Amino acid sequence: MEGHDPSWPKTWTRRTASLPGHRASASESGPLNVASDYSVQGGVIAGGGEPSPIAVRSWHPAQAPDVIEENLALSVALFPTGWNRAVARQPEIKLVRPELASEAPRAVSVPIRHPAIRAKSFFFPDPALPVGSLPETPHASPKPAARTPDKPRTRTRLKPPADVIKLADRLRYVLQPSLETLLESRALTFPFAPFAYQWEGVAFLYPRQTAILADEMGLGKTMQAITALRLLLHAGEVRRVLLICPKPLVANWQREFHVWAPEIPLLVIEGDQARRRWQWELPDVPVKLANYELLHRDREVLEGSQGPGTDFDLVILDESQRIKNRLSATSQAASVIRRRRVWAMTGTPIENSPEDLVGIFDFLMPGYLTPAMAPRRMGRAVGDYVLRRTKDQVLTELPPKLFRDAELELAPSQRETYKLAEEEGVLRLTALGDSITIQHVFELVLRLKQICNFDPVTGESSKLERLEADLEEVAASGRKALVFSQWVDTLQRLRERLQRFGPLEFHGKIPPRQREAVLRQFREDADCRVLLISYGAGGVGLNLQFASYVFLFDRWWNPAIEDQAINRAHRIGTSGPVTVTRFLVVDTIEERIDRILQEKRELFDTVFASGLGPRPKIGLTQQQIFSLFELKCPGPTDSAADPRHQAA
Amino acid sequence: MQANDGKSNLAIGFLTVIDCPEQGLFGGYLVLNQLSRPLEFHCTTPIKPTRAQQILYGPTLKPYLYGEQIGRVLAASAKTRPAAVFTDREPALALREFVDVPVVLVPEPENGPLEGGATDSIYRIDAAHPGPSRLTEFPLGPHRLMVPSWAIADREAVGATLGGIADTFDFREPFERIREAIEEARRGG
Repeated sequence: MEGHDPSWPKTWTRRTASLPGHRASASESGPLNVASDYSVQGGVIAGGGEPSPIAVRSWHPAQAPDVIEENLALSVALFPTGWNRAVARQPEIKLVRPELASEAPRAVSVPIRHPAIRAKSFFFPDPALPVGSLPETPHASPKPAARTPDKPRTRTRLKPPADVIKLADRLRYVLQPSLETLLESRALTFPFAPFAYQWEGVAFLYPRQTAILADEMGLGKTMQAITALRLLLHAGEVRRVLLICPKPLVANWQREFHVWAPEIPLLVIEGDQARRRWQWELPDVPVKLANYELLHRDREVLEGSQGPGTDFDLVILDESQRIKNRLSATSQAASVIRRRRVWAMTGTPIENSPEDLVGIFDFLMPGYLTPAMAPRRMGRAVGDYVLRRTKDQVLTELPPKLFRDAELELAPSQRETYKLAEEEGVLRLTALGDSITIQHVFELVLRLKQICNFDPVTGESSKLERLEADLEEVAASGRKALVFSQWVDTLQRLRERLQRFGPLEFHGKIPPRQREAVLRQFREDADCRVLLISYGAGGVGLNLQFASYVFLFDRWWNPAIEDQAINRAHRIGTSGPVTVTRFLVVDTIEERIDRILQEKRELFDTVFASGLGPRPKIGLTQQQIFSLFELKCPGPTDSAADPRHQAA
Repeated sequence: MQANDGKSNLAIGFLTVIDCPEQGLFGGYLVLNQLSRPLEFHCTTPIKPTRAQQILYGPTLKPYLYGEQIGRVLAASAKTRPAAVFTDREPALALREFVDVPVVLVPEPENGPLEGGATDSIYRIDAAHPGPSRLTEFPLGPHRLMVPSWAIADREAVGATLGGIADTFDFREPFERIREAIEEARRGG
């Protein structure tokens, strides 16, 4: 019976008592086949008859055994299962016919659209090979030193100027590598690591067609300009550069070029007229250096030559205040130079009034500024073209500049001479009546200032006495000093009287070829404690940071010029504080001028504290000059007067 | 991409993708010469994946968008064939299946210094269980770079063409330029 419950017994065995003579029925042993041996009747198994108990009799051979009847019949009760009938019953087969044809399943399609992407493309000229090969710098190592990629480095990136509108042009600047990378890739090196603000200055100049670098004196404008043009030359973005500087600074520029861009050939325009013409017309010179005075003399060459030699990709004007007067011969001569880019460098973009800036811009972008513009509007207009930083802003580590005003009394003979000269002078001016001019007044001013320096008769000088005393201290401390005056005559007198300090002179009467030797001797000779400098020759461009003391023996008309003089010593490289002594003789014309200078200094500070914000037009006007002697100005004029040309 | 003329005109491609929450994905591709100066720049209009794409592409959405879509369009726009394309976005490595130049990942520097040999530390986070490494790291000069493990031969190709400039070339800095350029392009409309 396959498949039945295994717990169900296959056979049942009927147990009986076995007695002698008793025969077990055939069915007593062996398996009990329920289906065949028994029929189920009313739920009682009937084994061949009535179900009865099995009889067991006790038997004894001698005695009739007692018969004990035990009902051994096991009661077996079976429950009806219905199996037999079910087994006997014929199976009934039913046919089921399922409907296989059904509705077709629905598919939902999700479209996968590929995004529509458009690309904008910009192509740049391959800058790998600049036009005109420049020799490698002798300072350059053949291969830049390996760098650590994860080490943070200074990176100065170019930013497009505001006047570059076209996206492709702006991207050309945005996508340039950092200046540091540009230099590294060209194996260009520096003798000294530039300051971060100097990198920023280079990044400011590099992309600009028009720019004024107006950093305070001593912050390294020269280095920034040289580095920017060096990069442009190596990138092939400019081929011919013209540098224009004051004549006394030509040697300084040569020196700076040798330091910061030794691989770039530099041609100094000099010599007689024929030689200069030839030099001007040389086409394949990367950088030419000329001075303002030559510019005026060679105007005809610059105007007439149409060759590439006088066609410049970049013109750099050092001390660009020299062209602030648009009507001056220098400014007129400069205007004929064919140029594409122009950078101006000046520590004093505004010496007297915003018109100074208008004059400079007239060369940079003719017509861009006008004198009639409101200062605030002018400030907004030039905002992206002018970069101005002061030492206080960027060189917090620069040693301090200590001022002390030495207010002196005139020596007795000086006082007498001075009083007489002033009285006579004022009387003479008064007598001129309406024919008086500003020149007449200047003459008197200069005469009185000279008396404040030295008595013309006795040579007595309270300033000299004070200077000698101070220089004793300077020399004793092993330091050096600069002494500024506006007169060569004064400087020569000082030299005679200061022999024990080993004085050297640096002014317009020293031939240019000797000036470098003078500076070298002052720098290297420990016995030379004093350099006597005129404002005109030594006011700008000189690096005299090894001098710790500056004496302004007499005062200039403009505080900006005085600042330039002071900053010959107080500049990058200064190892200690610079002490500035300003001599002032009280109750003289010097004191009266000083009051005006003080006002101008405050003006200058105000302007550059707030950009080019609103401010009054202040300068040493003709009216103010006349008022020095309580004279009435003959004509209604308010233009600023700069008597610098009066100086010796 | 046209053929690179040779080592003297070596060009290197840089591909990145910027995700702007408002506008979508911007792709940028910059081709530099060996002096790190730009030769070409290409950028894409922004794209935003749909919700259906996000569901259906699942974890493969970024490789699809960065490499197959954006990277492919940008690479096709370029005229100069680069020696290799560098990217700072791992999904953009999918571009390698569509171009015949090596596509190299420049990993973030904070991932730690290269310890040599292949790495087995990077897995897809959606993988049912860690499988074999998908990226192979290798050094190039002072840099640590990665290529898809299935394109492991690219290591040799990159080393052969760029090994000479590896000491001085900054392979991470150009991505900064691309981001600035894309920002400039966005401002400029």
